[in-house]
Amino acid sequence: MAVNEHADPARTHLETPAERIVRRLSRGPLHAVIIAVCLAWMTPTAGLFISSFRTKADIATTGWWTALVPPLQFTLDNYDHVLTARGMGRSFINSLLISVPATMLTILVAALAAYAFSWIEFRGREALFLLVVALLVVPIQLTLIPVLRMFANFGMTGSFPAIWLAHTAYGLPFAVFLLRNFFVALPKDLLESAFLEGASHFVAFTRIVMPLSVPAVAALGIFQFLWLWNDLLVALVYLGGFRDVAPMTVAISSLVSSFGSEWHLLTAAAFVSMVLPLVVFFALQKYFVEGILAGAVKG
Amino acid sequence: MKKRALRIAASPWLYLAPALTLLSVFLLYPVTNTIYLSFFDRSSTTFVGIDNYVYLASHPETIIVLRNNLMWLVLFTGTTVTLGLLLAVLTNQVRYEAAAKAIVFVPMAVSFTAAAVIWRFMYIYQPVEFAQTGVVNALLGLVGLDPVAWITNKSVNNLALIASGVWMWTGFALVVISAGLKGIPTEVIEAARVDGASETQIFWYVLLPMLRSVVLVVAVTLVINSLKVFDLVYVMTFGNYDTDVLANRMFKEMFTFGNFGRASAVAVVLLLAIVPLMLLNIRRFRREQ
Amino acid sequence: MASVLFDHVWKRFGDFAALKDFHLDIEDKEFLVLVGPSGCGKSTALRLLAGLESVTEGSIFIGEERINDTPPRDRDIAMVFQSYALYPHMTIKDNIGFGLRLRKVPRQEVERRVSDAAVILGVEGLLDRKPGQLSGGQRQRIAVARAIVREPRVFLLDEPLSNLDAKLRVNTRAEISKLHKRLGTTFIYVTHDQTEAMTMATRIAVMDAGIIQQVGTPQQLYDHPANTFVAGFIGSPAMNFFSALVTESEGHLELRGDTYSVRVPLDRAGEIRQFKDRELLFGIRPENIHDQEFVPRGVNAVPIEVVVDVTELMGNEVFLHLLAGENKLLARVDPRTGLRAGARTEVLMDLERLHVFDPATTAVLVSASDA
Ligand SMILES: Nc1ncnc2c1ncn2[C@@H]1O[C@H](COP(=O)(O)OP(=O)(O)OP(=O)(O)O)[C@@H](O)[C@H]1O
Ligand SMILES: [Mg+2]
Repeated sequence: MAVNEHADPARTHLETPAERIVRRLSRGPLHAVIIAVCLAWMTPTAGLFISSFRTKADIATTGWWTALVPPLQFTLDNYDHVLTARGMGRSFINSLLISVPATMLTILVAALAAYAFSWIEFRGREALFLLVVALLVVPIQLTLIPVLRMFANFGMTGSFPAIWLAHTAYGLPFAVFLLRNFFVALPKDLLESAFLEGASHFVAFTRIVMPLSVPAVAALGIFQFLWLWNDLLVALVYLGGFRDVAPMTVAISSLVSSFGSEWHLLTAAAFVSMVLPLVVFFALQKYFVEGILAGAVKG
Repeated sequence: MKKRALRIAASPWLYLAPALTLLSVFLLYPVTNTIYLSFFDRSSTTFVGIDNYVYLASHPETIIVLRNNLMWLVLFTGTTVTLGLLLAVLTNQVRYEAAAKAIVFVPMAVSFTAAAVIWRFMYIYQPVEFAQTGVVNALLGLVGLDPVAWITNKSVNNLALIASGVWMWTGFALVVISAGLKGIPTEVIEAARVDGASETQIFWYVLLPMLRSVVLVVAVTLVINSLKVFDLVYVMTFGNYDTDVLANRMFKEMFTFGNFGRASAVAVVLLLAIVPLMLLNIRRFRREQ
Repeated sequence: MASVLFDHVWKRFGDFAALKDFHLDIEDKEFLVLVGPSGCGKSTALRLLAGLESVTEGSIFIGEERINDTPPRDRDIAMVFQSYALYPHMTIKDNIGFGLRLRKVPRQEVERRVSDAAVILGVEGLLDRKPGQLSGGQRQRIAVARAIVREPRVFLLDEPLSNLDAKLRVNTRAEISKLHKRLGTTFIYVTHDQTEAMTMATRIAVMDAGIIQQVGTPQQLYDHPANTFVAGFIGSPAMNFFSALVTESEGHLELRGDTYSVRVPLDRAGEIRQFKDRELLFGIRPENIHDQEFVPRGVNAVPIEVVVDVTELMGNEVFLHLLAGENKLLARVDPRTGLRAGARTEVLMDLERLHVFDPATTAVLVSASDA
């Protein structure tokens, strides 16, 4: 057969270095686009970061990129100033005192509800769940005035419990939605066999559903923490003028309005506020993606 | 057996009570109450009918606010979804995918407030004769263009704000769509390849249709965000220079002008804009079940 | 025309070689079955041919054309995936016609060919549904329909029956064979099921660990396995192996194991005598061990002493798990056998059908004689 002519081992094919380069180059535009986007996305943050180590005079007169060529003249003064004199340290603690308990409360309340929505049969279950899904899109702004008045009536304005409850409520529609999607996808056999062995719902919830849902719960926790940490509106309205409870976002935004020209302080302050979310995000990145998958990309 | 069925039937409300209470107190009741308050005067004491709405409709600023929200809705959502989709498909083909996605996602972990600071910093404007200290204007200078006052120039400032929003949210779109992309079985894509599809055809005829529901989730989330957009505008311009949006407008009515009636009316307008999305959300959810 | 040649192909994933010097010449219109255990590289070979993976070293030809660098869409190949890989968002009609529409075939022509393919596979009634609304067997047919509609040069099937139940699998097996005759296209079919291989193939290539062990017709592989791997893989239940020393006493050749010995019949002694005093590996198929009471006519068998360990009634036959000393033997005997577990007895081995292997290389030394 004619084909045998090709069977000559001398003609068997090995990629030559030249061919390899051609293959790599043909993917050049792909890499160029991705790398360009990455650079563009990093530049703003990088600029802020570098500027936060520059003096007031430098920031006002030259672009931050000029600081990258020697002589290097960086200073920690901005951070020193922000963390002590401007009360940023206090508001950093406040941010933690607001975000951490509210995140835990959200998870607890949402998990209980999501369990009922996924594993307990009751009349009107679907309708009730749809109502929760609908609330996903209600703008928080709509609730500010009545809630503010309510807090005033109970004398809760400017208190941490008030903002914990508010944050929990606002986070619930998404949290219930995400957790329920995860819970219903758990293997049915597992829960049914537990029920057959005489487990109560409480046991099923604490011993089976929650341990199996660690990825979803972790993702929700990260989401909620980031959102709360980054929240400005709710804190601004419900904690209002009370400086000693103001979180970082509020403190920074007041820096912006009162020291519009004091870029050196703003940059440092903004960066301080970013550190914790960035650490949390990079440490738990894996869960983040899994969690979004569970919530948004079903099936 | 019978006994357990009974006990099981009685328990859902125990599990639901905390959530339902919080939702009622902080979302359901306030929403209805706000609608009610929008028919009262600034201190919620006298009924004024639709006066607040008439005021809004007649106020020239309102048109600008609505236009801005519309711009946010279309440009912010459109650009973010497109970029997210594009990057998801592109990064899927390279080895440093995780790193690239993390870089684009970082702004999501940054507060709107910090983002606003970052972007005001990017947009700093110095008159032509001085050295530019903002990156954007410095780049314009590099290619020989005059600097632009991004924050105050009314023909570009909304675009500048929206760009900062895109910067923040592209990571979200990217991560979600990319997760959806990973959910598509490789064999289906390979089948298309064997069937004779080019990479572009695979994108349009196979990937995109299969990502439809994921893209929809992202788009709806972004649309809602675009309607509710507040922090970026509040920190970057406080709604000045024709950049105001509904949420900020409402905040101003309430806290700057102390007019609870008008503030409520603005909130109701926002709700009306969102109701169709709410219905869409419910319909989609029902279909998925 | 559409012959296929894998010319000393290597495929490496990093350091791991999935195919090692894979050389296979497939003629036009053949039904070639690639069999081998899981992970031996069968799918990899198909995917290289389809262009879904790149060749590390060596060449692949379709006809006269070297296709190493041809993109999949220009190879004119169709493939049925194990998971069927139907497009979930398209109707069945669109699924089948997708490849044709990509090739800009006129609409009417697409319609016609789609409905022809649907008729051949008996899925006319399903055309307007989506894949999610079909059963596994129906999906399998759609996947085949999608492949045949393009009238490709080569037709690749990667374990297309593994998701079907036993009965459907038997039926579909026959249908695919018919389809092959009808289309007259080259088929390359991957399976790890030796029954599928034996019943469908014109030729079988047996693979293990990325290496082709033997290529031949089902009968050739069955009668003349080239090594112990092929001998053990082809045929069900698998061939029995035992090692024994070839000895000669009083002019008789004997195979002596640790606790048993069998005498080699005269007509085979000639072939085996050359291995005198060597310890060799012997193979005998279960169907060549008989119950004394039911020896088929014309079989010249020698006795071996065994204990019956377990009996398995299969209906038309009985499997006897036997112990000859330490050695396990499986016999496939007449269902009327009276042997029960625990019985100590003699069974008869048909040494005409004995295979002899070199224990060091596992290669065959003497095959069963063709009777
Ligand atoms: N992309 C890959 N990267 C690394 N190793 C791979 C890759 N694809 C396959 N392999 C390895 O190559 C070997 C052969 O895989 P292949 O899929 O061809 O097996 P197979 O014979 O089809 O098995 P099965 O019957 O289970 O489908 C396996 O050991 C597998 O782990
Ligand atoms: Mg395989």
